[in-house]
Amino acid sequence: MAAPAVTAAGAEEASPLSKGIARLLHELEVLPLNGEKAEVAGSFSPENFVLTNYSFWLLVAVVLMLVFFIVASRKSQLVPQGISNVAEAGVEFVRNNICVDVMGPEGKKYFPFIATTFFFVLINNLLGNIPPALPGTGTVGTTFVWGVIVFLVYNGIGIKKNGFVPYIKSLVPSGTPGWLAPLIFTLEVVSHILRPFTLGVRLFANMYAGHIMLGVFAVFMAISLEHFTPVSALVLPLSFVMQVLLRVFELFVAVLQAYIFTILTAVYISGALHASEH
Amino acid sequence: MTGSLSVLGAALAFGLGAIGPGIGIGMIGSKTIESMARQPEMAGRLQTTMFIALGMTEAIALLGFVLAFVLYGA
Repeated sequence: MAAPAVTAAGAEEASPLSKGIARLLHELEVLPLNGEKAEVAGSFSPENFVLTNYSFWLLVAVVLMLVFFIVASRKSQLVPQGISNVAEAGVEFVRNNICVDVMGPEGKKYFPFIATTFFFVLINNLLGNIPPALPGTGTVGTTFVWGVIVFLVYNGIGIKKNGFVPYIKSLVPSGTPGWLAPLIFTLEVVSHILRPFTLGVRLFANMYAGHIMLGVFAVFMAISLEHFTPVSALVLPLSFVMQVLLRVFELFVAVLQAYIFTILTAVYISGALHASEH
Repeated sequence: MTGSLSVLGAALAFGLGAIGPGIGIGMIGSKTIESMARQPEMAGRLQTTMFIALGMTEAIALLGFVLAFVLYGA
């Protein structure tokens, strides 16, 4: 017997299933476009700043977004037609259902940031559903950095609106007994620091999990075709149906996650704006 | 044989970690439907709040999911 594969679970030869899963995980790995993974010599060394498969599709998504909005806004008219109708519906949804609903009328001031977040995440998520493309948001690097941007923005807004010292003081609600204040303060700081993590991990994990699920059923189909047994006759159509259903579900998740990411951003900004009120 | 144990750990991490959020999301959904039935005119705002709560609950399950992959790779 040959030397056991690294990914194999036991001392036995790797089963077709674990081989398939390993290949699937490899497909979703972050790799430089020109092939091999570079030697890891400190994450921030200059030779690690290369175009990866994920950042390539992220750039494609951003270019698509730019083209879409430039084309849509080129011929602005009172009654929009065609593509500008779609763009206007999206923009209006973000302005009314996210900005104004969560932050009130003053939320319109932060509309550009909120809209950028929404359409960036949405188009990246949706692009991941077209087979050769990978979602730019399917890697923890993109989503976590976007979470950190949100963190900096909402804290910046809070500090600008309330002043630095009152904003920090507002972490402890007024009327807290003195001996409890340090504990509450620590808890609040931790919960604020966790926000970019949860924002990033939620989006990344949703996109990644969706692609793993699709991939697992694709692996089932491939295995049942390769080793055709009576069971395959059952597994094959079931996996196919699951693939189709999951694909539809993934489209729904793509929109939902963009919505949740944006609405949480709006909630955080709203909390920072009204920090001194409670 | 450490490999198979870490695979078991990964499955347990996700499986057990999904119980709590599963119950939580169910409660969010049922309470939202209940409130919507009582006050249909509040449906829009309830839905917004529901999605916020949903996002926060879901994050806990997904932490287990990420942990599962960390363990699977270990």
